[in-house]
Amino acid sequence: MEIEVLTGILLLCILVSFALGAPVGLALGGIAMAVGYSTWGEGIFNIVPSTFESTLFSFVLLAIPLYIYMGQLLTRSGIGDAMFNASQLIIGRVRGSLAISVVGVCSMIGAMVGIIGAGIMTSGSIALKPMLQRGYDKRLALGVIMAGGGLGILIPPSVPMIMFAATTQNSVGRMFMAALVPAVVTIFMLVAYIVVSCKLNPERAPLGTGQEATMTQKEKMRTLRDGLFSVLLIFAVLGSIISGMATPTESGAIGVVGAVLLAFFFKRFRFGMFRAAGMETAMLVSVAMWIIMGATLFSNFHLLMGVQDMVAGFTEDLGLPPLGVIIVLQLIMLLLGFIIDEFIIVLMCAPLFTPIVVELGYDPIWFGILMILNIEIAVQTPPYGFALFYLKGIAPPGVTMLDIYKSVTPFVLIKLSVLILCMLFPEAVMWLPNKVMG
Amino acid sequence: MITATLKAYCASVNHVVAFIGQSVSYVMPMLAFVVAFEVFARYFLNKPTVWAYDLSLFMAGYIAALGGAYAQQKKAHINVDILYIAVSANSKRVFNLLSSSLAIFFMVVVILICTEKFNEAVEFNYRRFSEWSPPMHHFWMMLIVAASLMILQFSSDMLEDLYHLITGRNLIERAEETDADGN
Amino acid sequence: AAEHNWRFANLYTRGTAFGEVYGNLAKNIEEMSGGRIKVKMMYAGEGVDTRGILGAVKSGLITMGATFQPMNAGEMPAGIVEVGLPGGTADVGKLSVLFHEKGFDKVLSDAYGSQGLVWLDPYIQPPVYLLTKKPINSVEDFKGLKLRAPGAYGKFVRNLGASPVSLTWSEIYTGLATGVIDGSIGSNLIDHRDGNHVEVAKYMYRLPLAGAQVLPVFVNQKAWNKLPKDLKAIVKAATAVHAREQMTKSRLWESEAIADMESKGMKWSPVPSDADKAVWSKAGESLWDEYASQDKYSKQLIEILKKQ
Ligand code: NA
Ligand code: NA
Repeated sequence: MEIEVLTGILLLCILVSFALGAPVGLALGGIAMAVGYSTWGEGIFNIVPSTFESTLFSFVLLAIPLYIYMGQLLTRSGIGDAMFNASQLIIGRVRGSLAISVVGVCSMIGAMVGIIGAGIMTSGSIALKPMLQRGYDKRLALGVIMAGGGLGILIPPSVPMIMFAATTQNSVGRMFMAALVPAVVTIFMLVAYIVVSCKLNPERAPLGTGQEATMTQKEKMRTLRDGLFSVLLIFAVLGSIISGMATPTESGAIGVVGAVLLAFFFKRFRFGMFRAAGMETAMLVSVAMWIIMGATLFSNFHLLMGVQDMVAGFTEDLGLPPLGVIIVLQLIMLLLGFIIDEFIIVLMCAPLFTPIVVELGYDPIWFGILMILNIEIAVQTPPYGFALFYLKGIAPPGVTMLDIYKSVTPFVLIKLSVLILCMLFPEAVMWLPNKVMG
Repeated sequence: MITATLKAYCASVNHVVAFIGQSVSYVMPMLAFVVAFEVFARYFLNKPTVWAYDLSLFMAGYIAALGGAYAQQKKAHINVDILYIAVSANSKRVFNLLSSSLAIFFMVVVILICTEKFNEAVEFNYRRFSEWSPPMHHFWMMLIVAASLMILQFSSDMLEDLYHLITGRNLIERAEETDADGN
Repeated sequence: AAEHNWRFANLYTRGTAFGEVYGNLAKNIEEMSGGRIKVKMMYAGEGVDTRGILGAVKSGLITMGATFQPMNAGEMPAGIVEVGLPGGTADVGKLSVLFHEKGFDKVLSDAYGSQGLVWLDPYIQPPVYLLTKKPINSVEDFKGLKLRAPGAYGKFVRNLGASPVSLTWSEIYTGLATGVIDGSIGSNLIDHRDGNHVEVAKYMYRLPLAGAQVLPVFVNQKAWNKLPKDLKAIVKAATAVHAREQMTKSRLWESEAIADMESKGMKWSPVPSDADKAVWSKAGESLWDEYASQDKYSKQLIEILKKQ
């Protein structure tokens, strides 16, 4: 079967199974196996062991359980909420200030983790409940988590950036430096959006509805103290990475130990809480990993059938002006984000596209940053995006996929405008690495 | 009589799946401890272990795979519920039957192929490639168990849906769902 | 249409120099067979994880594979001896004799055959080197260093007093930058260049951990049996041509990689003394008996090595 036809059939199957409300990971795996059986025969089933083994033995993905667990322990012991309560005691009079604090916390989490899943699920564990409890608009709250959690791959360390640098033989250090300006611009635009949107629609971010409104002086002191310690814990985790004590993945475990110690220290440790945090984490990990396993199976099947050759074919002789080529390459990546995950996009597109871009006279590092920005957008664009699924996993039961789809629109537009800025002004990306690294 | 048998089947499946799903969550603190211990051993004792790396991956794999059936029982698996929430209860049941069949087919494939892999791992004594080199056979057996649990859970859910479609009554009456917190 | 449709998976990513060499092998087989065998090339991460290639070829999902055997030490222990034990020779001539005249080829054919694989010509690649953050002035300096060195190489550096650390590939760069590890081995010098590790660790040790590395190319037994005699001969001939291409080119690429890294600030640790060299070889040789005791094919290979 032609790869174009097969791709069409696979897409159709995805849409049908999504419409039926099938579990995403199991449906993707089932579709790959069923379509594979009818085009290839039972030999295709042998794709399962290598896919499951490589997914479950990926040390980088271990960040997902460890960081979610840290987030769950912080939330359930009340220490995480204290962080936001404390921020509300200080800047609570500014409308939307809680969402702004959340962006700050997400940025710090982004500086710890290198993959999207860990970024979104950790930020969601810690910061979603406080916003919803205070009556924040559901869409604003979800969108902030999605946008903030996605910073995990834009703020160094970043696994996709390391993969890009390695597959195209570029400097990881320059890549990390180059990402900083776009990251800061993104954070700034997120904050600006929150401020403006809350000014225009005050009901999106109610004031004075949190616990701090009725607190006694003693409770306030306690909240400030707990809040300070939970921020210190986050800094300690960051410090363990920067000081070379632990890798970004391992530092999640340091966060877990720190959260347990803090809970004991503040006499908030309860066995029931500890058990519930473990249970919730195990459930979220299972949900995330079955999606990753099914989706990887699906993309592995698609790759074995030759989707990469189809992509390579698209890019031959585009006959467009340079900027046109850049735009087409990015559109391809955004479309690929419809069916495959962040790592595969880099592994497949970096070596295919980068030589074309360099040939046109552009800097490969700049293109690498565009690629990361595209991936960030692709994984949160409906209908199929890992970030959307992770967020649904972490969201409370009443949140539907439609809520999530609707919540992302303004934030995707923000990321899109950062992308366009970086595309039009390469100096903004290249200025810092050129200045620091020559 | 038939109803009682069906009820007993669903209840025991739900019980077994819940027991395993909850038990596996106790591995979570152990996983964090193993990783933290490795950091401690390497940074403070300057003596990295040979086992923490593989052991932590095995633990995470067990949690992820074995928890799948329990996640289905709790309806925690992610779906795109746009059309799904707009249709009638009976249409939902029909949708469930279709998507459950697909999931069961997938899990049957997993069981068949992992059984081959298990036999191979036993025959050739397959191990991880690390210095510690722990055996791999239990990992494939675990996946067989995880997929079987998933099939049991889906079959029980399908029975409930079918029963309701045929008789118009619930096979099992459920109290309001509560989460692990009890809230 | 082709009489035989093959998929060939290799361990390198698309666009890398070594990946291209394997791509050329695929093309050679197609051309030399006059299109009767069609070979679809799969690069790293395209459908099968690099660690899963061996298993995928055994099961027939992939017809032909090229891997780095230390990754499969738990499934094919003899592959560790095949790739070259620490302390082994780097002399290409000697290696060729070892594989083609002294009997390595027969033992490896049996070892791979026992798992349903046909072992083709060996591919000789540049040796494994160690990159560290601080210069190594004498072997004493290895004491207490935390080095990312998997499997056999881990045991080797432990014999020198260092601590082997398990770290996944994508964490090496950050691990070196922050100091989680003091050094790392790469599968060859080109690998060090591609990982940009020189940005965060400048010193290359002069002695390779193992001699030249030998990488296998193997085919699923059932697919092989379907080939008529003439096509079998063609695949073998194409593989032999490719083995030579690999050897000449890898020399060139290795020197390019060194020049590249030197321009980015890579420095060599001082030339080791004779005493250091002796300690270094001894650290490697003590592993031989350990490996020989673990697997019957490894034992046969090591007996051949010792007879040399
Ligand atoms: Na990050
Ligand atoms: Na998408």
